[in-house]
Amino acid sequence: MIFLKRQLPLVVTFCMGVVFAMQYYVPHPTSEALLKNASNWIIIIGGFALILGLVSLIQLHMHRIQRNVGGWGYSAVLFAAMFAMVIAGILAGGKNLDSERALTGYGWAYSYAMVPLQGTMFSLLAFFVASAAYRAFRARTKEAALLLIAALLVMWGRVPLGEYLWAFSGDIAQWILNVINSSVRRAILIGVSLGVIALSIKIIFGIERMYLGGKKE
Amino acid sequence: MNLSNHSIVTRMLAIDRRFIFMLIALATLIPLLNPINLPIMISPEVRAVYDHMESLPEGSVFLLSMDFDPASKPEVYPQAIALLRHAFKKNLKVIGLTLLVTGTGMAEEAMATVAEELEKINGTDYAFLGWRPGASAVILSMGQDLVGTFPQDHYGIPIDELSVMHNVKTLRDVDYAVSLAAGFPGVDEWYIYGKDKYRFELGGGSTAVMAPGLYPRLRAGQINGLIGGLRGAAEYEKLLDQSGKATAGMDSQSATHFVIIVLVIICNVFYVISRRQKRT
Repeated sequence: MIFLKRQLPLVVTFCMGVVFAMQYYVPHPTSEALLKNASNWIIIIGGFALILGLVSLIQLHMHRIQRNVGGWGYSAVLFAAMFAMVIAGILAGGKNLDSERALTGYGWAYSYAMVPLQGTMFSLLAFFVASAAYRAFRARTKEAALLLIAALLVMWGRVPLGEYLWAFSGDIAQWILNVINSSVRRAILIGVSLGVIALSIKIIFGIERMYLGGKKE
Repeated sequence: MNLSNHSIVTRMLAIDRRFIFMLIALATLIPLLNPINLPIMISPEVRAVYDHMESLPEGSVFLLSMDFDPASKPEVYPQAIALLRHAFKKNLKVIGLTLLVTGTGMAEEAMATVAEELEKINGTDYAFLGWRPGASAVILSMGQDLVGTFPQDHYGIPIDELSVMHNVKTLRDVDYAVSLAAGFPGVDEWYIYGKDKYRFELGGGSTAVMAPGLYPRLRAGQINGLIGGLRGAAEYEKLLDQSGKATAGMDSQSATHFVIIVLVIICNVFYVISRRQKRT
């Protein structure tokens, strides 16, 4: 059992890691076919992950309803909405529009329930961002003041009214995004990438084993 | 007098957030009801996408990956509409797809709406492939075998039967691809797993909050252009000389930006005053 739990995953990880790191640099048809097969595996596993997610969601909310946990009614609403969408989706064959370009029941629920609801949730952010900006965006230190000035300049220069009132503001916003923002983000990206490479090497060679269950031998 | 000043400063710093909500609501609504139509300047990154589309000869293959969910519809959907209008007007072969399952309906709607507006026929002028699970693996797989990844289009028609797809076997056959993204998978994945390996030209579109994160890719030439947020969509609409929802929303965006700018300045003025009062 230890072989199946420990050694086998390490061997598989090592082999797949080395093979696919090499694969990138080998444009041979066999190498390309290998990548194609692996991509197909990932797509199939992705499909199963959806089922796993669905089962996990059902288990979690069934548990809440069975135990009458506070807010269990929301879980019931979730089940009602989920199964209504599944049934509508099956009846419509997963299509939003029918052959005459009219909305199916599934398309109707998507367009007139899901889209406005998600849009509304996201739009609420504008209100909270404004409120949070008022409360938290204060020049407490020199660094915070710099951040504040940069943010105000970008906000000013990225809208037509800002450019109308001060034509140069667009160029300033553009410069901040292109030069300061790009260079800082590039530095972060390089740092993150080096970290990913280091972690990948540790995983491939079995030095990092947390993915096997979090226990160190 | 000092006590009174102190009281005003304290009250202003702890202003009722409902007042701020009301200001934002008014700043959004009033310009929508009474648009001013302020002039929109074109940024180089949006122009780069437009110019590249313009440079494509008729019949070139244009792939639009609409990788956004309903939450991002107000910002990214107008970008999709503008790009599709441009592609159809240029008589490009348009391939649409999405890597986000919740975006399928909007992607289908965008393709169908613009195709109907410009009298384009599904299968002949464009194809909508729909969604496949796997995110970045789908991009890799399309690079190897597009037909194998999407054996049928969204409507169940075998890809081989769509004339628009006849010479498109892998991503290497795509002349220009644009990913309109609102998170993962998005422009980054299309570059890493797509363009970097299969060598096609790539453009990007994203929500405004994501756009600054894509500037390093833009400056490095990893993407040739970037349409950022509603502003980017409005710029593209202006380039097309066809106003849409993005242009209509720009006055609101201007007003809300300025309300936030004024609020932040006011807040900081009172903050400085309160610090001075504490010192004395």
